[in-house]
Amino acid sequence: MATLEDSFLADLDELSDNEAELDENNGDVGKEEEDVDMDMADLETLNYDDLDSVSKLQKSQRYTDIMQKVEEALRKDLDGSDKGTVLEDDPEYKLIVECNQLSVDIENEIVIVHNFIKDKYKLKFQELESLVNHPIDYACVVKRIGNETDLTLVDLADLLPSAIIMVISVTASTTKGTALPEDVLQKVLEACDRALDLDSSRKKVLEFVESKMGSIAPNLSAIVGSAVAAKLMGTAGGLSALAKMPACNVQVLGLKRKNLAGFSSATSQSRVGFLEQTEIFQSTPPGLRARASRLVAAKSTLAARVDATRGDPTGTSGKAFREEIRKKIEKWQEPPPARQPKPLPVPDSEPKKRRGGRRLRKMKERYAVTDMRKLANRMAFGTPEESSLGDGLGEGYGMLGQAGSNRLRVSSVPSKLKINAKVAKKLKERQYAGGATTSGLTSSLAFTPVQGIELCNPQQALGLGSGTQSTYFSESGTFSKLKKI
Amino acid sequence: MSYLLKTLTKKEEIDRIIRDTIDEVLVLRFGRCSDDVCLQHDEILAKSVRDVSKFAKVALVDVDSEEVQVYVKYFDITLFPSTIFFFNAHHMKLDSGTADHTKWVGAFHIKQDFIDVVEAIYRGAMKGKLIVQCPVPPERIPKYQLLYKDV
Repeated sequence: MATLEDSFLADLDELSDNEAELDENNGDVGKEEEDVDMDMADLETLNYDDLDSVSKLQKSQRYTDIMQKVEEALRKDLDGSDKGTVLEDDPEYKLIVECNQLSVDIENEIVIVHNFIKDKYKLKFQELESLVNHPIDYACVVKRIGNETDLTLVDLADLLPSAIIMVISVTASTTKGTALPEDVLQKVLEACDRALDLDSSRKKVLEFVESKMGSIAPNLSAIVGSAVAAKLMGTAGGLSALAKMPACNVQVLGLKRKNLAGFSSATSQSRVGFLEQTEIFQSTPPGLRARASRLVAAKSTLAARVDATRGDPTGTSGKAFREEIRKKIEKWQEPPPARQPKPLPVPDSEPKKRRGGRRLRKMKERYAVTDMRKLANRMAFGTPEESSLGDGLGEGYGMLGQAGSNRLRVSSVPSKLKINAKVAKKLKERQYAGGATTSGLTSSLAFTPVQGIELCNPQQALGLGSGTQSTYFSESGTFSKLKKI
Repeated sequence: MSYLLKTLTKKEEIDRIIRDTIDEVLVLRFGRCSDDVCLQHDEILAKSVRDVSKFAKVALVDVDSEEVQVYVKYFDITLFPSTIFFFNAHHMKLDSGTADHTKWVGAFHIKQDFIDVVEAIYRGAMKGKLIVQCPVPPERIPKYQLLYKDV
């Protein structure tokens, strides 16, 4: 990075030269950048165990300039009525912009100092950095604990929730860290102080910006409140930058992504940044918060655009937006209208819907024509059909049981119909002649009377004769229909 | 007296409503609002007016006004409440097993009976019939005696 090189070179040359150059009003921003780079350079030297006495000096000189100005302005309570046509020309606006930059820079600075403290304190209490995440909290805790081994003597009640204090004390008793040497301890404590000072000055800067927000961006502060408006402006880098952003970006400005390695981010669903802290958002029920955040982001972007062009210095459009938002959220919450009973449809206006589906098909299967029946319905050309009672009596078999079809067997099921005597005799003969399951006393040879080999022909015993005899001219045939007159 | 249903008192109103109801069964109840059987009948009508609203229209005719007496005489209404059904300005008859097929005398026992009668009339009328069979079982049909020249 070019600036880092410059800062190293400046280190080598002379610091005072740079001070003289940049000692102008507009150079405040430049000074702050320099300050950051100096701190970075210093911290690198710190890492090599060099004390940060140099950076302390830096801090006190340069950056207190801005702090002084801020405090002056806070005390004076300027009204700044002569705004001029363009916002950017206003000196107070410039100060606000610088303060925004400064607050971002201070935040980065705090992170750097935090890393430094962590590095040094690892020797003593390694686990503390994972238990206490917030940099300022960490600095306070480190300051309190110092070189103490026994954590029951240390009172952390006002800094942390009691659950975390408990975890800390338990971990402290089992930690493998050793007490720090005196000089390292000193450095650590100084770094903690530095971090806390940075934090307090950042708070002051934000306070100042907040108080002036009403004159800088009245519409935006009417919707989201001056604190959040200041933070948004700060993160965006100015009012015009904020106005140029699309609303979806404004929604996630300030989102702290804490994806600890190894933990799933599927459950961390809130995609709201600074807007989460607005009154509107806090007062909506949790179910509607996603929609509300989008709505607030959209309207606040519109308000920021109005403010950037100074279209409405009074802030009435901001209030109108706020009212609109409130009304919309209320409308979402009202219950749906009660259902009235439907009137009956006109008779015969809707044709009957024939439904299909698996259930209907299964039901139809019970009455469907089976394959067996289909085969029985067809007949071969030229060959007389076999029938259940022979000679065209009884049910025809059609293609059933033919040599060609190798699937189905003809099984004789006694029908429930009332059959007359002649038919019954025929049926019985058939049964004996062709049935596969007959009484065990008959031998298989009897089933082929045409062959002529019969050991014991049960048909003759019954007086049925051989199967080949025709019924019409049969000797054993009787009158089929005998009616009593 | 039902506030949901229109009450007609003038001859022009009755004419207009008979003329203007197109492709819907028009149910005209002739009766008095003070009579308790009429009140019962009116309640059933009021409850079902929304259900049959797609194919029927219901109106009440107050029998005490003078202009309506013409109709009372024409339809030969003697007992109240009497309900007369029209479809496309044709008078629809209803064979319910009673002596008089031109009207329904008395109150309906349940809401479903009334809806069934209106549906039967609608179906018959759409087919082109002028008289339909009443689908209400005989135990729920109000019985009455007709006097013919005091016989």
